[in-house]
Formats: sequence, structure tokens, C-alpha cells
Amino acid sequence: MTLKVGIDFGTSNSGVAVYDGQRVKLLPVDPKNVLPEVIKTILYVTRDYRSSIGQDAVEAYYRDNVNRQRRYVKQWAGEIDVRGADMHYVRDIYVYVDELKPGRLLQYLKTALRKPEYQGTQIFERYYTVGDLAQTYLSLLKRRAEDILGDSIHAVTLGRPVKFSETPEQDHKAEDTLRQAAHEVGFKEVDFELEPIAAALNYEQSITKPQNVLIFDFGGGTLDIAIMRLGDPHQRKVFASGGVDIAGSDFDRAIIEKRMLSHFGYGRVKYHPEILEMIHAIPDWMALPELGTPINRNILEKAIHSGIAPVRLKALQGLIYNDLAFTFYNRVEAGKIALSSDGATIISLDDKDIALWELYTRHQFETDIQHYLIDVEKVLLDTIAVSGLEPKEIDAVVKTGGSSNIPLFTEMLTRIFGAEKVKASNTFSSVVAGLAIKAGM
Amino acid sequence: MPFSNKIDEWIKEAETRPESALMIVKLIAKRLHDLTERNEELLAENIALQNGTRVEEYQKRIVHLEYQLDLLKRRFGTDDVTLVEPTVHSAESSILKMLTYNANGRILRIEVDPNTQSLGHIKNDMINDREPPRLLGVPSNEEVLLLFTSGRVSALAVSDIPSLEAGDAWSWEQAALPDEPRAGEFLACIMPLSHLPLSDFFLQVSRRGCVKKTMTSMAQPILANHYLGKGAVQKSDQAFDLTLCKPKEHFAFVTQEGHLLGLDVDGLSYSAEERIRLTATDFVVASFLTRSDESLLFVTQTGKVIVRESNNLELSKSPLAKGQALISPARLEQGVRFIGAASVQDMDRIAVLDATGSLTVHLAEAMTGAGSIEAGGVILSIGLIPAEAGKGPNP
Repeated sequence: MTLKVGIDFGTSNSGVAVYDGQRVKLLPVDPKNVLPEVIKTILYVTRDYRSSIGQDAVEAYYRDNVNRQRRYVKQWAGEIDVRGADMHYVRDIYVYVDELKPGRLLQYLKTALRKPEYQGTQIFERYYTVGDLAQTYLSLLKRRAEDILGDSIHAVTLGRPVKFSETPEQDHKAEDTLRQAAHEVGFKEVDFELEPIAAALNYEQSITKPQNVLIFDFGGGTLDIAIMRLGDPHQRKVFASGGVDIAGSDFDRAIIEKRMLSHFGYGRVKYHPEILEMIHAIPDWMALPELGTPINRNILEKAIHSGIAPVRLKALQGLIYNDLAFTFYNRVEAGKIALSSDGATIISLDDKDIALWELYTRHQFETDIQHYLIDVEKVLLDTIAVSGLEPKEIDAVVKTGGSSNIPLFTEMLTRIFGAEKVKASNTFSSVVAGLAIKAGM
Repeated sequence: MPFSNKIDEWIKEAETRPESALMIVKLIAKRLHDLTERNEELLAENIALQNGTRVEEYQKRIVHLEYQLDLLKRRFGTDDVTLVEPTVHSAESSILKMLTYNANGRILRIEVDPNTQSLGHIKNDMINDREPPRLLGVPSNEEVLLLFTSGRVSALAVSDIPSLEAGDAWSWEQAALPDEPRAGEFLACIMPLSHLPLSDFFLQVSRRGCVKKTMTSMAQPILANHYLGKGAVQKSDQAFDLTLCKPKEHFAFVTQEGHLLGLDVDGLSYSAEERIRLTATDFVVASFLTRSDESLLFVTQTGKVIVRESNNLELSKSPLAKGQALISPARLEQGVRFIGAASVQDMDRIAVLDATGSLTVHLAEAMTGAGSIEAGGVILSIGLIPAEAGKGPNP
């Protein structure tokens, strides 16, 4: 028998589920996680090309990297041909490489799929394309699922956002890359389902009569909306679907930009463009780890020695050179999640040279992301308009994805549709459950 | 953003959601508490800086570091300790020497060929000696510390002891006598000194199971005054063994009648303290540091080998413990006794000296596999030759 599963390859979290025709079984693919059915979309590749995912990857990263030693060596990277009117010379280009770096941690793999400028990355001696990264992750995820099921998995229904990208070419390219990666890891049959529609299929299991349902799937990478007629499997209808490139990672970035940069010298360092460049790179999770060069260390040392915001620049130095970036982003994200239930929280990071403490309130958070609310509301109303339905004709609004729990957006949905229509579903598993149902159809 | 603006925003939150006010107050109060504690630590540090305590502490630390540097220079035979320097000497250090020494201070330095099992023969009748000779594997560029039963110490370079060819027969009269024991004292043990700069404590154990810890920061005055102490409580007791260790390490010693006692280095006293209850006839025959990836190997006088996983070592907390009994009462009655023990890895080698004077080398893995050692007579001593010894400057 061909075993087919649903896989939600999410921006922040992933999951695998299987449907036996009666009920959905979410597979505990990450036993070390608080929710074993949810696995972080994080990949860690060591210098000898051993890969791990989820909590294992996080643990390996912490074990190998935090406060580790570094040794930079100058390495030839290529050459530049310089041609002028009456001259021509070739210039060698060197880069500083940390030869003690034990591994690379990669996250937001799905975001990489939809960025046309991101083709891949060099991991030590090998170049990994975006497809290779997705393939490595899916391969390990598939193996874990097969170990749990005790059987080989031959087919998969993968979730995908309504729009990987605004441009159709990039959208197709992203889906093709993911499809190819799935085939490469051994899935003989691969099909896709839009993530909000998958969440709708899961919701359909709980209703007894046909309804017009709006799915508000607001996760780590994108907001996806689908408006569907559900309740009768023979008369399912998708009225409209829409999405926008706004989600949890943008809110984290907003918090860092507006509240955290001052802890690392922003506002105190004025006439040092190199240092300002480092400070402005903090919100960018891809750029921050690359700042740890000997040149930057010298610049920071000199500034600290000259008394330019010494405490804050020492904190910046600690953030960069003690490999605390990942911990820092996690703390910011944890603070954001806490504000979904509490009115205030602390975002803190305490290490050798860092004593970051920030009391952050929901009011502040809502002020910081206010401009996103306007964009989200616009996409929502546009999608409703395309569906041809009026808000009052929608019987239920189903929230899913981590960012859908942010009170600001719940209040927006309540304001538009009424509190009685807004329903919460399982934040992390409704999409994968729906994908499993689709796979079992 | 000015701090006053932040306060305004917190107030705004409290106005919007009054239930948040309590949480904000709690979070700020906790922060204040943490900051008060931190402030107190900083004030204490400030006082230490102002009254010169901290300066004195750093001066002592500098003296200690200078001394450690000096030791390293002597070890590598250079005034300029560089990263490149050790490789220059690695060829010499790869020549492994076996030091065989007796209580009278006589030391035979024998070259060890990694492929040879038989090292040679000692012609003297050793069974009637006061103490059986002891064995120690060291690289040729090692420096060693001689500990005498009186508590006197003296340092010596291995290269200063004349080397003997393996495979020959020697007598104690041919052996070097670098530091003749004084009246009433005997040579208790020889300890490699190269790890001194990387260690925190000297650890002494006496024949009757007294243990004493001494900080290596005291090494300079100890070596200058040639005195470490007996490390024993009773007058009749005497120093037996000395080792270098770091905090959090585990130390064990074994008695002739088969008692094994494990101790946590951190829990040991700086004054000599009796740690085991021994019968009148029992005494310590081996002591060593243990590591989790090693096995504990015990050898009886008849050549039987007993192996225990070092993970199974029970650490004793009580001041006077009995230790784990490894020889059954029936065997004890038959006269079975331990003559030595060591913490080993599979590829380590063990040098064995028997009553006929024959000196042989055996692979630890083979010994544990066979469960016994073949020897020409009653076994007198064993000595550990670590697998990595002789491969580089840090054996």
C-alpha cells in the first residue's frame, strides 16, 4: 500500500500528519520539543556535513557555538578584472574565514524559496542551492516520520502559501524547487495544496452543516486567506484566496528595529559609519552572523577604548562574537508571543558582556506594528471583495498560525465579522492536519 | 528613545488595560531587586579595589602565571614559548622512557620500544627489598618531582638520568642516584611535572589512606624550600603517592586488601585527612585520577586482572569510609592481594615487574580481554604507559 502523508513545510515550524479516513494522526517528529508534533524549520549543518533539524539542530548549535573560539584566516575568494582605457590588471580578492566555525545554522528556509535574489549559500566547501537546503530538511523529516510509522512513505501533499511571491514566475519557481526537493528525497508522488485551504479541510471535520468560512492563516512567513464554502464534500467551493508577505518574522524585526537597537549603541554612536552599519544589520538574521570579522572587531575595540558608548558597543561585540544572535532573536520572538496573552513582558539577554533588559508592553507592540495592521486589513477586505460575499455572509472566521493569536489582529477580525464568528483552531497543526486529509482523499 | 517616553508608554498600557498595571509593577520591582543586588556586588568590588585587596590578589596571580610560564619554558627548553616550538621537540619527546625506581632512590631509565614486549631484566633479588620497585612511563623531555617519605621534594629532568638500552640486564648498582634519601627517609614516588601549569592542586595520598590537597599556586615556594609535607596524620604513616589534578576531577585509591575508594577532588581538605578505615595490615597500593571514558584495572600478585567501569566508581562523601570491596573474604583468606591498579583506556600499555626481575609491557586491552597477565613469578609492580605518552610534548 502506498503511504501518503501531509507535510506542512512552514517558515518557522513544520509538521507531518497522516489520515486514515477516520481521523488525523499528527506525528511526534520532534520528541524534544514542547509540542512533539511541531518541529522547528531549522537546519544545522556541521563542518563534516552532518545535518540535524528541529530541537536537535538548536541543541547542536548551542553546544558547538556559543562563546566558542574563533580563528580567522585570509582565504583567496577570486579575482577582479580591472580594465581601463589604457590599462588592464587583475586583482585578487581575499575574504576572512573563521576556520574554527563548527557548523552553520539555517532558518527561514521557506522564505529563501521565495526570494529571487537568494540562490543558495556556501556551507564550508560545498555550495547548497535553495533546493539542496529544502531537500536536506525534508529528507531528515521524512526519515523521522518513517521511523514513527515503521513504513516507507511514497507520496506527500505539501502545503504552500497562496503566494510564494508576487511575481508568477518566482511563484512557479519556488513551487518547482520544493517539488523537485521532495522528489529527490524519495517521494514518488508530490502534490500541493494551499495552506489556508488545508486549514479549511481540517475545520470542515468539525461542522455539521454547510458554511461560508474565511480562513485567516497568519504564520511566521506569510498571511494567507481563503474564503470557501465548506460542509458538503461534494459542494466545496473556493470563492477567493489571497495573501501578503507579512507575518511573524516582520513583527520580530519591527521590535528589534524600534526597541532593541538602542541597547547596542543606536542613538549614541553618530559619526562612525562602520559601526552604524553593524548596528543596522542587527535585525537581519542573515547578515548578523557575517559581521564577526577581525576588521569589525578592531573597529569596535578602538571605539570602546575611545569611550564611545563603551557599554553598548561591548554588548554589540558580545552579540556578534559570542554567537548570541540566535538566542537574541529567540528572546525577541518569545517576548512577542508572551504579549498575545499578557499586557507586559520582559525581553532580556544576559551574557558576559550583555545585560539587556527591556520592559515591553502590548501597547508598545501594537504601536510598533500598527502600519502592518493597515496592510493586513486591506488584503483581507480585498479578498472578501473578490469572493463576492459581504462580511455578514461569512459564517465563520477560522484563525490559524502563530501570528493569528496577536490580539491586534483578533480585534480587527472581531470588528469586521463580530466576536461570535471568530474561531480559533489549533495554532500549529490545523494546516498539517488538513494536508493529511487532502493526502488521504 | 528617552527613558521618560518609555515610562509614558508603560502608563499608557496601564491606562488601556488596568490589569497590566500589576504586572508592570511586578516586573519593575523584580528588576529593582536584581539591580540592588548587582549594585552591592559592584560596591564590594569597589571597596576591594580601593583598599588594595584586589591589587594584591592580581599580583599573586601574576607571580603564579610567571612561574607557570617559567615551567613551560623549561619544559620546552626555550626562552621563547611559541606555538611552533613544541613541534621542534616532538621528535625527542616521542622517545618514551620507563623509570623504574626503588625506595633507596635508585632510578633506572630504560628506553621503551613500542613494539617490544620485554624491556629487560633487573638482576637483584627484589622480593626481600623493603618496598617493591615502582614503575613510571614518561617522555624523555619530561621533568619529574621526587617525593620522599619525609615530605621532602626535589625536581629533576628525565634527560639528566643516564639512559639504558632495553633488553639488557641491570642491577641497582648501575642505576642513577640523583638525590640520595637522607637518614630515615625513602623515595616514596616520582610524579611527572609537565602538567603543573595546567593543574590546580597537588594531591597526596599516604600509605594509610590520608589525603591532602595543596594548591599549585604554592608550587614556587614548595620547590624552592624542597618541602611539600608527608600528608599523613599518624607518625608511623608515610607519604605514598602524588598526583596533579584540577577541580571537579575524581580521584581514587586502592588498598592491598582490595578496597577501592573514590573521592571528589572538590570535596578534599587542604589538610591531611584520613579518608578510609583500614585494618591493621592493609595499606594503599595505587592511586589515580579517573575519567568517565576509562576502565579501572586492578592486578593481583598472581597476575589476575579485574576490570570495573569508572562510571561505577562510588564517590565517598563520609570522612571515614570503608570503600568498595573488590576481593571477596574467601579470596582474601586464600592470600589474594592487589599489587597495583590504574585507570586505563584500551590502547594504553601496562609495564609489569615480577619477582624474577623481568620487566615486560602489555596492552591494556589484551590484559582486560585475557583477564590475567603471564609473568615469570609473583608480580611486584605495575606502571601505566598512556597511549598518548610519547606522541607529543603533552603526554
